[in-house]
Amino acid sequence: MQITGMLHGSRLLQFADFPTAEILGPDASEEAIKDLIERHGSVFIKPLFKGGVGKKGKAGLIGRAKDLKTALAEKERLYFVEHRHGNQVAKANGVTFEGAVPAEHEVYFSITDSTEFRAPTMTLTHMGGVDIEELDKAQIARIPFDPLTGLKAFVVANALADIGAPKQVISPLVQHLPRLWELYHDFGMNTLELNPIRMRPDRRGRLTPVACDFKCGFDRDDPRWHRLNLPAHLFAADYSDFEQEINQLRTHQGQSDVYVINDQGTILAPTFGGGANSLVTEMLGDDAIISSDFGGNPPYEKMKSVASICFKHWLRQSNVLFIIGGKSNNTDIFETFRAMADALREHFGTHGPTPLYVVVGRGGPNLVRGMGVLRDTCEALGLPYRLFGFDSAMSEVVDYAREVNEWMKAGGREAVAARLRIAPTATV
Amino acid sequence: MYQQGAGDFKYYVGISSLAQIATRDDRVCVLNILGGESSEVTPVGHAWSGGNVVFGTSPGRRGQVLETELGNIPVYNSVREGLDDGHRFNCGVVYLPPSAARDGVAELIRVNPELKKIFIITEKISVHDAREIRAMGQQAGIDIFGANCLGVADSWNQVRIGGALGGDHPGDTLKRGSIAILSNSGGFTTTIAQYLRMAGWGTTTLVSSGKDVYIHYAAPEFAFALANDARSKAAVLYCEPGGYYERDADFTKPVVACVVGRWKAKLTRAVGHAGAMAGGHDDAAAKEQWFKDKFGVDDIFTPEHPVFSAKGALVTNIAHIPAALTAVMRANATLPDFAPEGTMELKPWFGSNMGLTLPAPLDLPVVESPEPYRSQVALLAKQVGAVFPREALKDASGASQMDPATQVSSLYGTRVLEAACLPLEANVSLALLREAGGENDRKLVNVALGASINLYGSPELAAAQAAREAGNAPNSVLSAAISIVGPRRAENAGRIVAALIERFAEAGIRDALAEEVDLTAVHADTALAILVSSVEPDPRALAMLAGLEARGTRSVFVRYLRDQPGHVSADAVLAAITTTLAWGPLMRKRVSRLTVETLPWWMRLFGTVIGASAQSEAHRPDGFNGFATADLLGRASITEVAYHALLGRAPEASDLFAFQTLVGILLTNGPGTISAQGAKGAVSSDGPETPQRVQLNKALTGFLSHTGYAHGGNGFEGVQFLIEQFRDSGLQDPADPAHGVDLKALARRYAEDYGRYKAGAKSLGSLDIRKIPGVNHPVFKDKPVNLDPREVFIRELMEGRGEANVFHDFYRVLVQVLRDTGVSRTVYCVNIDAVIAALLLKLTWQPWRAGEISDSALEAAAFSIFLYARMLGCAAEADDHLNRGRNMDTRTVASRCRFVS
Repeated sequence: MQITGMLHGSRLLQFADFPTAEILGPDASEEAIKDLIERHGSVFIKPLFKGGVGKKGKAGLIGRAKDLKTALAEKERLYFVEHRHGNQVAKANGVTFEGAVPAEHEVYFSITDSTEFRAPTMTLTHMGGVDIEELDKAQIARIPFDPLTGLKAFVVANALADIGAPKQVISPLVQHLPRLWELYHDFGMNTLELNPIRMRPDRRGRLTPVACDFKCGFDRDDPRWHRLNLPAHLFAADYSDFEQEINQLRTHQGQSDVYVINDQGTILAPTFGGGANSLVTEMLGDDAIISSDFGGNPPYEKMKSVASICFKHWLRQSNVLFIIGGKSNNTDIFETFRAMADALREHFGTHGPTPLYVVVGRGGPNLVRGMGVLRDTCEALGLPYRLFGFDSAMSEVVDYAREVNEWMKAGGREAVAARLRIAPTATV
Repeated sequence: MYQQGAGDFKYYVGISSLAQIATRDDRVCVLNILGGESSEVTPVGHAWSGGNVVFGTSPGRRGQVLETELGNIPVYNSVREGLDDGHRFNCGVVYLPPSAARDGVAELIRVNPELKKIFIITEKISVHDAREIRAMGQQAGIDIFGANCLGVADSWNQVRIGGALGGDHPGDTLKRGSIAILSNSGGFTTTIAQYLRMAGWGTTTLVSSGKDVYIHYAAPEFAFALANDARSKAAVLYCEPGGYYERDADFTKPVVACVVGRWKAKLTRAVGHAGAMAGGHDDAAAKEQWFKDKFGVDDIFTPEHPVFSAKGALVTNIAHIPAALTAVMRANATLPDFAPEGTMELKPWFGSNMGLTLPAPLDLPVVESPEPYRSQVALLAKQVGAVFPREALKDASGASQMDPATQVSSLYGTRVLEAACLPLEANVSLALLREAGGENDRKLVNVALGASINLYGSPELAAAQAAREAGNAPNSVLSAAISIVGPRRAENAGRIVAALIERFAEAGIRDALAEEVDLTAVHADTALAILVSSVEPDPRALAMLAGLEARGTRSVFVRYLRDQPGHVSADAVLAAITTTLAWGPLMRKRVSRLTVETLPWWMRLFGTVIGASAQSEAHRPDGFNGFATADLLGRASITEVAYHALLGRAPEASDLFAFQTLVGILLTNGPGTISAQGAKGAVSSDGPETPQRVQLNKALTGFLSHTGYAHGGNGFEGVQFLIEQFRDSGLQDPADPAHGVDLKALARRYAEDYGRYKAGAKSLGSLDIRKIPGVNHPVFKDKPVNLDPREVFIRELMEGRGEANVFHDFYRVLVQVLRDTGVSRTVYCVNIDAVIAALLLKLTWQPWRAGEISDSALEAAAFSIFLYARMLGCAAEADDHLNRGRNMDTRTVASRCRFVS
């Protein structure tokens, strides 16, 4: 849930009356680009990525042109460019043209919630335009402030004084930067970064901060960002069909945080509790298809819908259905197991049987009744199974599921298929 | 800005010792106390903590209460109202939805000056609200726990506040000891306490911290309070990626830290609430390093590679926590709090290989679970058969469905085309036991039904005959008979079945055919022996036993009856037969006990339907329709007997096959058919939730009353059509390939007639053009040559057997001729109704031509075959509805009904 770049950033900054570089989108006409170059002397051409993609400049993904021909050549080069940063790979779809802002000073500014201070925290330096990590700590101000009163002018002024910022930048920044708090706090953001803010002089030499790049992250548990009416496709790249389907069920009652780890995996593991999720995902590695947390005592209907969606997308390729969680505190095992068992039964009813081994590790209220339902379902569907209570170590149970998966890969799947009198449809 | 509290923190912390987090003196107010989660867990925590909740709030619900073991907790509209009523509290618990949690915190702080602690259970609170909550707590000097947590608990004080640590039986997990727990995961707080107990470690204070961006009570202040808690000798921390909390914690007592989430480094995008990603400086790898530095260790502790110091150990798997703790504490010269309570090795509570051979490491034997689970499992083991969840079954069925693509229906997963290859008796098993069963099962069904077919001298027969003579159609005739076969007719047999299930399941009998097993335990039950006995010799029982003997059937239940010193009743024999049939599916939990207990009744009903469809002369004291009683029970198949009952003559082998094919394909057409709706409505109105009140004979009457002349499935329209075409053709034997009839000429004659009719109708502007019965189908159309897969299946089946059917051939010629003569634009399909008509007419052509049966008798026969088949399909629907449906669930709500003027 991140936005980078000025195409949308400049629109958002308008909410805070913060000056921005002039910008044209990918569909800008040649006349408009030419006009932009004439007015600003040169333009920057930047690829458009969905979501959060950083360090474009370092990767040589920013073009600069002083004439139309170069601008169009850069457009062609960057329009579908690929960007690799850490594990993330992003593909551009479009470019923006940004009027150059001549300036002597470049400023870095961000707001985020710091776990060190447990408060919203401003990071500010007048040595911006570069990676903040590369600067000396003495040149950077990191100042927590009170969210009830917000980012106040004096906080900015004190910070700039502390790091010895040139005096001509202080007044314009003190005037403009506090407004960004409103944007941050009132529209559900959890990070906001402007780097660089270029200090543009007017005819009398007075400086105005102009945002030349933009990055922000939204808190998906905060509905405030809906006020911005951002197009849904901005975030759509973040989710597969499966995740989107599951996420529609996302409510505060019961977790449904799910994402695909390996769409070629062979263990389908509905997991209960964040802890179990971490343990299981870590131990299963690439065998796991999804990472999920279905804890939080989901009601029967929701659990059944979630399970049905999981089964619809993944059961055919699965060797092991692995239901795993710790000793639950308030998740009703009978309700959740009954929901999953019914979903499994229905899946077999509508899509036909599929070779599967069921492994369960769980504890909590109504455990035995819940296991009874699962047992009956496995018996009725003819599936081999082992159900473990909370007195078996979860990691041992995970290992057991992995061994079962290996056995299924090495002929077990065929044996279960023969037992079910079906063809052992190949796993992916 | 912030108030100065305990310790040397840059922010406010009020708690100076873990012992102060959850005490017996704390008094609690729960916001949204009647919400789904709170109403389940608050009563448990309240009772375990000696009644620590003074009141709760739920706007608009003042005056309601939350019931608990220790009495009712009052509910008010707001905190102020509770205080005004004289209640006092120092702890607030927030169960509000995420959008309201911040305002709840504000309410608690502003309204109650005595407030000291707030516990926020709510998950998915926005970061926006979390930062304001933090600021409010800091300003007012309140300790906040959470959010997105499961509260706190204290094993020494036996108190829990907020949330649900320890689950529904906190005492099972929270045993007094010397270890404090701080966990990012609420679930694992309890799980870790459980693991520690197994290794002999008890707990002091357990804090579920939550794992939002803002953790209001986190590792630094936990470390401080741990140092000041004399009860706690060490702590276990469970940490997930994200946040610098652990880095800034200064521990003075030994700690085992479990850091998980290294896998997140492999992720390609931000995941999870805290959004911790690799590359940040607070990911799992960074946290591991913080702890290594704190403990002075260079690696992770595993049982194989135990790396630890007296300061602590780092693990990445929670299962290693107990071993790591024991090792660290040994280095501190400290022994566990009590003897270990168990091991953590794999102990399956339930399991089955389903007959597969598994490699030894996977083939773990089922072990007994600890109490109290052991007795629960034992109780579960006593439960025999499947238990189905109930739901509204209007237009829905767990028995039948139609595949919209092929239009082929199936019953319990068996397609009607496959059912068509089975004899009627196998389809009896399929309908009620979900499996067609084997040879032994068929013999048993033949005896059970055979014993109910002869209605000589019974009121059923008199009613049927009277109904027939009054001019009723077969469905009404049969209804008259089975209306009499009410609950009492099968009550005793049902009771015997129940007793047999009880006793034989207890004796551990899994295989109903294993006659040689030891039945001593069963024989010891004198009540059962009395139940199956008969004072006088029961001739019907003797005849059935002789029939079973003659057929060489196997049954442990029948053997039990034979072992009886005295006489047994016919009800007992019937019960033994049906229980044998059902035992496999029952033990495999394919069917419910309820279904099995109703089987004798169903057998009586099926027998009565077949018997009553024959004229009353066919029923004699010594036999039925030419079958002597001994032959009926000892040899004949019910397919053969039913054929006889219907057509009054002995079948050829090919006739018998055609007959069983018809029964098979007509079994069901899904729950939407009018016949199924009749059966389901009858069950629904009796109330399946009180199954013993449901009248199964009425369910069949419901089905029968929902069949009739207009029913396409009975094929009679097609029969009439074929008779018209063949009336003057001189056809002798429809099964003779050399029949000598020019089918093409017949077809052309009809096609031309029909073409003229169609053109005429169109020129008159009529849109309602009469269709040709058995031709064309709304799904199988629009190709140059169309085929109904069901027709293709039957044609190929018959061809494979070398059986010819001139009527079927005629249909195939007809569709081609219709196309050739331009009447149709494509070659229409020959549909399943045509197949049914062709098979029916093949069976009845010769007696009809010979004048042995009239047109109306032919129609009655066609109708009755449909009823035989659908009787089984609808029994399946009725049984399914009985097991899974709800009372009155087939009605349509008034808002969906229309008035038509």
